[in-house]
Order: sequence, then C-alpha cells, then structure tokens
Amino acid sequence: MATHRSRALWSRVMRSCRLPGFRSSWPRGPLGARHVSQEKQATETHFGFETVSEEEKGGKVYHVFESVAKKYDVMNDMMSFGIHRIWKDLLLSKMHPFPGTQLLDVAGGTGDIAFRFLNYVHEQHKGKQKRQLRAQQNLSWEEIAKKYQSEEDPLGGSRVVVCDINKEMLKIGKQKARAQGHKAGKSYGLAWVLGDAEELPFDDDKFDVYTIAFGIRNVTHIDQALQEAHRVLKPGGRFLCLEFSQVNNPLISSFQVIPVLGEVIAGDWKSYQYLVESIRQFPSQEEFKEMIEDAGFEKVTYESLTSGIVAIHSGFKL
Amino acid sequence: MGTLLRSALRPLRRLGGLRGQAADVPLRGVRHGAAGLLYPGHIPTSPLQKALLAAGSAGMALYNPYRHDMVAVLGETTGLRALKVLRDQMRKDPEGAEILQKRPRISLSTLDLDKLRSLPEGSLGQEYLCFLDVNRVSPDTRAPTRFVDDEELAYVIQRYREIHDMLHTLLGMPTNILGEIVVKWFEAVQTGLPMCILGALFGPIRLSAQSLQVLVSELIPWAIQNGRRAPCVLNLYYERRWEQPLRALREELGITDPPTVHVRGLA
Repeated sequence: MATHRSRALWSRVMRSCRLPGFRSSWPRGPLGARHVSQEKQATETHFGFETVSEEEKGGKVYHVFESVAKKYDVMNDMMSFGIHRIWKDLLLSKMHPFPGTQLLDVAGGTGDIAFRFLNYVHEQHKGKQKRQLRAQQNLSWEEIAKKYQSEEDPLGGSRVVVCDINKEMLKIGKQKARAQGHKAGKSYGLAWVLGDAEELPFDDDKFDVYTIAFGIRNVTHIDQALQEAHRVLKPGGRFLCLEFSQVNNPLISSFQVIPVLGEVIAGDWKSYQYLVESIRQFPSQEEFKEMIEDAGFEKVTYESLTSGIVAIHSGFKL
Repeated sequence: MGTLLRSALRPLRRLGGLRGQAADVPLRGVRHGAAGLLYPGHIPTSPLQKALLAAGSAGMALYNPYRHDMVAVLGETTGLRALKVLRDQMRKDPEGAEILQKRPRISLSTLDLDKLRSLPEGSLGQEYLCFLDVNRVSPDTRAPTRFVDDEELAYVIQRYREIHDMLHTLLGMPTNILGEIVVKWFEAVQTGLPMCILGALFGPIRLSAQSLQVLVSELIPWAIQNGRRAPCVLNLYYERRWEQPLRALREELGITDPPTVHVRGLA
C-alpha cells in the first residue's frame, strides 16, 4: 500500500514540474529510477515499423487519423468484416454499467463505445423503471402513464465523456450523435472533449469507468496514459482496454490485404500500412498486463477474443 | 521492490529490435537510407497485393469513374510486361534513349509558360497551352508512380501519364468522355498497356446509344488507324519540339485530321 501511495505522490510531483515540451528529457516512471542509458533511447520511438522521434510520432499519428476520419467506420467494417461491432458489444457487456455510471471514453473519436454505453444504460434504466412500477400495487392507469412520461433523466444519472486528441474524429462523432437524434435522450449525458490521453484535462477521482478502444497503441507514452487513467478513476473504478493483440498465424494474409483495401476504398495506403504495423508493434497480452499493473491497477486480467486478434484488458483502482 | 526491478528491465526487453517483421508483411523501409525503396514514393508490394490491387482498382474505377487514382493504380499493377516492351522500344530509338537518360518531367514547375505563350500560333507549344486553358486542366494532376518495382519502368509510366495531354493536343480531342475514350484507344494500340485496353473496352459502357454509334463507326477506327501508323509517341522529346508547328508534327507522325462529329449534348 505504501508503495502505491508514494508512487502516486511522486508521479504527481513529476507532473507538476513538467513544463510544456519538457517531456522527453525528464526521467519518468516509479520513483524516477530509470537506467541512465534509457535517456537516449527514450527520445526515439516507433511509428509502425519506422523509427521516429517522439515529438514526430504524435504529429504523424494525428495526420493518419485526420485523413481516415471520414471513412473510419466504413474501413473498420471492411477490415474486420463487421466483427468489430461484436467486440465492442462484448466490451460493454463486460463493463456491465448501471444507471449512474460515469464513463470516460478516451480516444473514442467517432463515439462507438459512447453510443453503445448510452443505449445499454438506457435499457437498464427502462428495466429498472418497469420493475419499480411492478412492485407498486394498486396504481391507476393514469398514474402508470404519468410515471412513464415523466422522463427527467432517461439515463438515471449516467454520463459519458468522449475524449480524443483529434478534432476530425470528434467532428465525425458529433455528426453521428446528431444524426441519431435525441433517441434515448442522447442529448443528455454525452460530452465531447478535445484532450491528450497522456495529460487528461480532468480532475482526480472523477470517473467510474475508463475505456480506451483501439486507441492506446497510438499513444506515444503508453505508461503515461495508464498513469493518467489511474489518476482520473475513482477508487473502485475500472480500467478497460480493447486492443489488437499478438496473433501467431492466421492473420498474415490479412495484414497484406488491409493496406490494399485502404488504397482501393479510401485512396490511402499509408495510413492503413501504419495500422497493420502498429498492431505488430504493440506489446503482447502478458506484457501489457504488466504495464497496467505498473500504473497501479490491481486485479488485472485479460480476455482474448476471436482467437487472439483482439484482447480486452481490465484492471481496478483499489 | 519486485515491481521496481521489473519496470526497470521492461524497456530493455522492448528494445530487443523491432517486433516480428515477418517476410510476408511488405517492408516499408526505414526513413533514412531506403531499404527496398527504389524511388521516392515507391511502395513495395507482394504479388498477392498487386493482384488484389489490380482487381480492386478495376472494380472501383468502373463503380466510380471519378476515381482517377484507381485507373493509375490499375496501370501500375498490370503494366509490367508492356512497360518493358515500351522501354526497350525507347532504348532503340535515339530520341527515346535520350529521354530515358535525361528523364524530363512535364509539370507546371518545369514548363516555361511565358515562353510557350510567346510562340507563334499553330506551334505545338501554343496549341498545348491553348488546350490546357480551354479544357481547364493542368499537367500537375498526374499521380506519382508507387507500385512499379523498377525505377526505370516507373519513369516510363510516369512519362506516359505526363504526355497524355500532349496526345489530346496531337489528336485534337477534347477532355469530355468521348475524347478520352478516343485517346484511350489510341494509347491502347500504341502502348499495349492492359489498363489502356481495359479502359478502351469498358469506357464506352456508360455512353448513350447515339454517342456509341458515332464512336464505333467513326472515331474508333480513326484512332486505331492512326495508332498503328504512328511511331511510338513516347519517343518524342516534346520539350524540344515546342516551336514545331502542330501540323508538321502531325504529318511527321502520320496523324490525319480528326473526323468532325456532332453529338447532341457534347461539345
């Protein structure tokens, strides 16, 4: 326990000392104890199979998502044959939110997780209302109708904040929200925030659940993003990450096909080449689990889906 | 204590080289000192990817004719043999060999527009500029080559794309759909590129019956005839021939005047 608190305190101190642009030279990590030889390597990172400086990676990733934003959903359907919808549904059922849950969806640009969350919670809320009504006996028809009509908050207090670093992706998400209209009171409880996963613009201990779906491999400093996740979650809060993971064999040909699809459908080879390479570069399930544990999460587990193509990692802040 | 040690060791573990670059995943090459990149913009592709690109781009070009980039991709992925033949032809011709050596490019930055405008009327340069103005096109809209795995052949196909507007000028064809199809037929006969042949055969699919009739009865035979008669148009060093009167150039190549046709609804 003591180590946890001192770790959190130290990272707080680190963060407050951080000046804009100061990042790469300040020794990071628990108790600042990194090998000195790490310093030189720390300024270079990978962008797919390319080696780039850390400052460059952020910009390059931004450009990738800026150019794919409009066709993001179409390409997801093409590349996964629509299975990505099932993966996201599974994430929601694992999350099992109830009315009142505060969700932060990071790198959630086009809003897939957020919309699913809202629908899920709305269904839960309706179910709860029905059960309440059934429990009350001897109500007249008028009273029952009135209960159904008075929808002060169709979500029962739940709220989701979608945070993304990329304006284009947020724009698409907002358009989708508008197109889906005020179904299930979507104007309630949905906020769109421009922010960086490594430096979230939120206070400590604010959210019940933190999700990041297919976003964390694009972050330059994954450990920082994990620490931020730990910071903004309430005690008892849950961290959920849905990400591509290492698969040994069957997808080899799909890694060849994806950039071709990107070129034919979206006229953009390079972004989808980056996508398949970044999947290859991401740590394995076990390694990522250790990284999550390092950030202070406990009871960290992972579940591989579709024979290891994606994995859902889950951890708790206790 | 254990976690401290683990976290210190982890970056070392991750530094153990880039993750499994399996032989099947196409190499993108490192930024500095291209490994596998033969020319700027080159994207190395495996045979499977080329096949998929060819099929996909053909389908997409038919589905959405405004996707010119798909036509370009189709040309690059299917044209290997034809490009080799073209390149050998160019090597044998003195002017063509010079082009292969000097590698001239046609773009707004390499063209001296003022000089071209000052040329006498009827010259190639004047007519070319006139064509660009009237049809509101620019030589800069040609996509750079990406999927050809030989640097010289990449230049050949780039040159072929850049002289496309020259061919319009030579043949006197506008840039509407009929004109483009006629030029495609000419190019198909001249170069033998599968993309040109496919374009020539499938281009007329969306035409009206009247245009189709005119096309088949007059324009296509004229294009084929001239295509066979003329020497390889890739062998012409156009940049040296700006002053040459267009008429004289046409005579040199054996290109007759285009048939005058009037189709309702088309210029």
